[in-house]
Amino acid sequence: MNAGTGSAARSRGSAQGVGVHKGTPLVAVVGPPNAGKSTLFNHLTGLRQRVANYPGVTVERRCGTVNLSAGPVELIDLPGVHGLSARSLDQMVTRDVLLGEFEGDRQPDAIVLVLDATRLESHLMVAEPVLGLGIPTLVVLTMADELDRREGALRCSGLSKELGVEVALVNARDVATLQPVRVFLEALHTGGEEVRACPIVTVAEHAEGRGGGRVLPMIDLFAERRQRARELGRSAGFQAPRLSRTTQRLDALVLHRFWGPLVFAGVVVLVFQSIFAWAVPLMDGTEAAIAASGNYLAAALPESWFRSLLLDGVWAGVGSVMVFLPQILILFFFIAILEDSGYMARAAVIADRLMHRVGLQGKSFLPLLSAYACAIPAIMSARTVEDERDRIATIFVAPFMTCSARLPVYALLIAAFIPAQPLLGPFFGTRAAVLTGLYLMGVMAAIVTAALLKRTLLRGRSAPFVMELPPYRLPTARSILTRLLDRTKVFLRRVGKIILAVTVVLWALTQFPRTPGGETPPIGDSALGQVGQVIEPAIEPLGFDWRIGIGLVTSLAAREVIVGTLGTIYGVESEDEEAFELQAALQQDLDLGAAVGLLVFFVFALQCMSTVAVMRRETGGWRWPTLQFCYMLVLAYAGAWVANAIL
Amino acid sequence: MKRVPETEQQPADRMLADVPLEEEVVLVRIDVAGEDVEPLLERGIVPGCRLCPVRHAPAGGPTVYRVDGGLVALRKETASCLCVRSSLEAAGVLDSN
Repeated sequence: MNAGTGSAARSRGSAQGVGVHKGTPLVAVVGPPNAGKSTLFNHLTGLRQRVANYPGVTVERRCGTVNLSAGPVELIDLPGVHGLSARSLDQMVTRDVLLGEFEGDRQPDAIVLVLDATRLESHLMVAEPVLGLGIPTLVVLTMADELDRREGALRCSGLSKELGVEVALVNARDVATLQPVRVFLEALHTGGEEVRACPIVTVAEHAEGRGGGRVLPMIDLFAERRQRARELGRSAGFQAPRLSRTTQRLDALVLHRFWGPLVFAGVVVLVFQSIFAWAVPLMDGTEAAIAASGNYLAAALPESWFRSLLLDGVWAGVGSVMVFLPQILILFFFIAILEDSGYMARAAVIADRLMHRVGLQGKSFLPLLSAYACAIPAIMSARTVEDERDRIATIFVAPFMTCSARLPVYALLIAAFIPAQPLLGPFFGTRAAVLTGLYLMGVMAAIVTAALLKRTLLRGRSAPFVMELPPYRLPTARSILTRLLDRTKVFLRRVGKIILAVTVVLWALTQFPRTPGGETPPIGDSALGQVGQVIEPAIEPLGFDWRIGIGLVTSLAAREVIVGTLGTIYGVESEDEEAFELQAALQQDLDLGAAVGLLVFFVFALQCMSTVAVMRRETGGWRWPTLQFCYMLVLAYAGAWVANAIL
Repeated sequence: MKRVPETEQQPADRMLADVPLEEEVVLVRIDVAGEDVEPLLERGIVPGCRLCPVRHAPAGGPTVYRVDGGLVALRKETASCLCVRSSLEAAGVLDSN
């Protein structure tokens, strides 16, 4: 039973508290996954959104402002949840925020409860605990167009009467249908009658009253909830829609025993080829823009330490990483399309058999695919894996997936050491093949590790696999654009903070100790060079020199920092201040074996302290992150040594 | 997955895993114990709901079921814990609800 269902109705007045937007009503957008919550949120807030984490936990917190004629309203998009029990962190955060018990957050003044109209009965059941909180609520039934197209029907007035709150039937993609939502939000300023708390008696209270305080067993509680949801559906004249023909036809293809795995493989190859081959013109453009601006600054600024810091430090370091923004955005573009279209859930179903065999489950596929973008949201999204052992195993292997921070390192080394030759026509060349190989190596490491874990430390029974398959939908440009903008902001924040700081510190270390004549020292004699030479004996068997050693240490902050670090080191070393070729410099310093060794090192090593920190938070201690860091370091060192020895 | 001991079973009752494609059935009992049952319940798989297997995933993967207008995929081992009755035979039970 959840904590919210028994609570008495709360008055709006008590909800006022200290928040970032004093005096601005705070409205929580709540609902089950795939109900159209984020689409509605995006339409209402436009680009006025902020993405951050809740303090203390890693649940992503999206906020945005809606500007109305009566004044602004602050919206908060809570994680999609199936209930408010304490079974998962997402549900706990949602419950705590709604109850005003989340430290640093005030209780929302109202709730916009988003339910899928095509699945009214099961969503009403899921949403019952939210309605039971007694906070002024607007129930928004989305997918009005789909309900209509699939010959379903319902009357909002009947449902509104039964629930005692306003109910709006909308199409979250069509702004014109969102007027009732705006009216509700306006009423928070004007005190209109649309804002009223839901008076429904929850099943838990109902049962307590009937059974003399008896607590219902879980199955009975849900069975009663479902019965009530059916009654509510009847009162709304709900006629369940037929299954979407498009969904049936597409499922016949993508879940076909022969074509399904082929489509799956095709999607994976398409994603990898596009992020490596088709991103090149965009990357070239970014590189040219950075070089041109660097040249302009070089010509405009007089010779000084500041000029050296700006050009050799910031431009060479940060610029080297910025080049990879287009590639990272293309990857997120594909992830957004796959998620929004509904294919990702099918991919999880296809992957389940294999994943189950190695000790994971199909649901691990979603976090693991997200890990191709970044291990941090992946580890967070592993919360959708309900089985605790499977969740820990998923978190443990997620960093083996090739995150976008590895891409700059791979792209740099592949471009420097692997000649571009076609393999399968113009669509698949040697470089794409090597990149695919590196990705597969990560997958293999993940599989072996998961199998080992599930046979040793995480041995035990597994929970049921229940995967919802949303209908196929055309992803909207707005939703994809919003996600890409979010990711760009996150990337630029990283570049602006971590990478800028590291490159500036590195640059400073290259400037001292000064020569007797007061000149900048040769880089090998600088403080940075001396640190590198201390590291060098440990990495010499791998074919790496002290420059790479410095890169390996600084990249513990974030993997892509090694590119900026090498950019700074070689930039300082370069005689030609206007332009230097990082690839050419690396070709002189590394042989093929060491270059492949470095690639292998990055496939396996946990070079990301943010991931370690998130791991600690999600697993509740240092045990798992320590084990993971050491395990991955041993694999990385051994792999790089083998690569260097045989090539 | 932890199973609860099977209670007395009606002759017409079967396990969901044994139901052929496109045959609609009604869930009568869930033989899953403890918190493991909650993910099923939250997604509308509760006694009284109608389930219809519509597709098997490739290579012995999960089966996709139609549940209350939506689609849910379950592994065979989970479907083997869900006791069902043909929707015609269960009509009386549903009507009485």
